[in-house]
Amino acid sequence: MKKAFLFLAIALAAFAQQTFDFKTLDKLGAKAKESTNITLEGDTLKLAVNFLEADNASLKPVVDNLKGVYVRSYEFDKEGQYADADLEPLRAYINTLQWTKIVDVKEDKETSEIYVKPLPNNRLGGLAIIDAEPKEVNVIYITGDLSTSDLAKLGGNFGIPDMKFLHDDKKAGKKSTPAR
Amino acid sequence: MSFEDDLRKALRHEPAPPDFAAKVLARTSRTPTYRRAAVLALAAALALAAIIPAAVHRYRRHQRALEAKDQLITALSITKVQLQQMKEKIRRNTRSKL
Repeated sequence: MKKAFLFLAIALAAFAQQTFDFKTLDKLGAKAKESTNITLEGDTLKLAVNFLEADNASLKPVVDNLKGVYVRSYEFDKEGQYADADLEPLRAYINTLQWTKIVDVKEDKETSEIYVKPLPNNRLGGLAIIDAEPKEVNVIYITGDLSTSDLAKLGGNFGIPDMKFLHDDKKAGKKSTPAR
Repeated sequence: MSFEDDLRKALRHEPAPPDFAAKVLARTSRTPTYRRAAVLALAAALALAAIIPAAVHRYRRHQRALEAKDQLITALSITKVQLQQMKEKIRRNTRSKL
């Protein structure tokens, strides 16, 4: 009986992890002057990857093993047009996934966070960016198999600080939060 | 010649040509032109009915793929910009702490 409950709890936890309704973030952009809402998953994402042409061919290895790409980007005319509390469900969701927070910058009224799901062999199982500024909010959530070099490629010459943090942790024998 | 002779000549029995029956039968069995046209039109309509939805589906799928590809590139561009901005913030933050 205990085993059954345990199994049920694990199954429920796994189910809860897989579900975050990104539409709940759409209210962030209710007063935005410019907004970008992108949700790519399943067949649509595969179609998009297959349609990358020769001029985007270098992106193909980066995106080939992605499972989902979610972007919500909003720009506002003035400050105070969105509630930071609307980002909390996403933060809470990412916490349940136990991803590693590799960047957490707080400046004046700005908050920037990067989370990754570390996998063995310099690979990542996902990337989440939450950037909240007074007149701008950006949320990026990418799941799938990414290499750290793909991420560096994606961010130009970025990638070194956060990836370095990961590698330093490993070298120092520190245990990073286990990724699921 | 009298009138009666003329009449008799005009009404005299003449046998049908030997291929008359065959010609009549051949004509009756031949499909009328309008019927053939109708059959062709129906066949063409059926072919179009099969081809058009497939073509429309293909076109829509193509459009959807192009749209998705544009979205993917936009998403990656936004990610790139965000990562670069984060790098800048980290650099600023590190400098200010030093």
